[in-house]
Amino acid sequence: MMNEKVKIPPIVRLKYKKGELIIKQGDYGISIYKIIHGKVRIFSESGDTEVSLATLGRGEIFGEMTFLNRGTEARTASVRAVQDSELEIWHPGRLSNEYTQMPHAIQYIIRQVLERLIRMNKLVAQLTAKKLEKAKKPATPVEAGASQRRYYRKKMDTECIYRPVGSSPKLALHGKVKDLSMGGLGMEVRTKNALNFSHEKGDKFHINMVLPNGKKFAVTSKVLSTNNNSLLGTLLMGMEFSDVKEGDGRTLGFFLRG
Amino acid sequence: MAIDQLLYVYVLSEEDYPANAVIVREGSKGEWIYIVLEGKVKIKKNTPKGMVTIGAFKEGDIIGEMALFEAVVADRTRTASAIADGPVKVGVLDTNRLLKDFESISPQLKGLIKSLVVRLKETTDRAVQLATG
Repeated sequence: MMNEKVKIPPIVRLKYKKGELIIKQGDYGISIYKIIHGKVRIFSESGDTEVSLATLGRGEIFGEMTFLNRGTEARTASVRAVQDSELEIWHPGRLSNEYTQMPHAIQYIIRQVLERLIRMNKLVAQLTAKKLEKAKKPATPVEAGASQRRYYRKKMDTECIYRPVGSSPKLALHGKVKDLSMGGLGMEVRTKNALNFSHEKGDKFHINMVLPNGKKFAVTSKVLSTNNNSLLGTLLMGMEFSDVKEGDGRTLGFFLRG
Repeated sequence: MAIDQLLYVYVLSEEDYPANAVIVREGSKGEWIYIVLEGKVKIKKNTPKGMVTIGAFKEGDIIGEMALFEAVVADRTRTASAIADGPVKVGVLDTNRLLKDFESISPQLKGLIKSLVVRLKETTDRAVQLATG
């Protein structure tokens, strides 16, 4: 008994930055995590959609499902830090002996609780997906700015690359331009992009795209309004151009009047 | 009978319910924990849009286990109703013995189990909200 105790790895503490992935759904992992400080979000991934299952804070535990499943299953959900967080990581060896020595009736009940939780998590993911289908009405582009309304505005659904002003030019976040006018644009991005970089009113972004007519277009824009759709996991930003190079202005005018 | 023998020794008495009888009522207080011995049981929750079925239990399934975890359910208030889906026989488990069993395990493992039960309760509430909202 004493010897076994010596072999068990010590508890370690690790720090995670806001936005960092701690557990990836589908991976095999056996550690159990306790939050010392910070906040994490548990979510299930299906295709491109992230379905939030829970947000946990100080003192709470996660990763226990795989352990209680006796390490035979892959992680059933992903976990990401939503704040800078410090976690205590327990090697399950510490608890394995205790688990097998636990009274049989308690093991029996825990197995059922676990099965029910797995089923409920799946149900939440399914119901969310169903709601998502319903909500898939044509997205309403955010008005970029009332004063710009005299200009042509074109609706579109065109992919773009963007990055915050001041960030490394190597950074390429993905978004979709939903509408475009001489004064601004509406851009839709995945909510998760906002975990790593601020996407608030007043923030400025460099945006690069190829217009539907095949012309390249680059612009710097300022966020005027944001509209978070937590169900779809998207963030719609109404933006106003803060810097348009002459050539790009011409490209835009040509496109909008074309 | 397909009931786990090691669990059957916890059964204090057996109760029979006719179809549609309420075995456990949501919102009431109670600490009995049951095991389904024969038949089927529907688990339902009250919502603004009426009763919603959140589970269907069969032989061997435990009913009312949340009462075991005081930290999860304040005052041992039942979080859902269990209703007989046809004639049902349940075993009433020895709650005191189960509580003693639970107390005998290490604080770390207990923390783990509580976290699991809290998550089940929250996820169930979430599912009900999504289904009726």
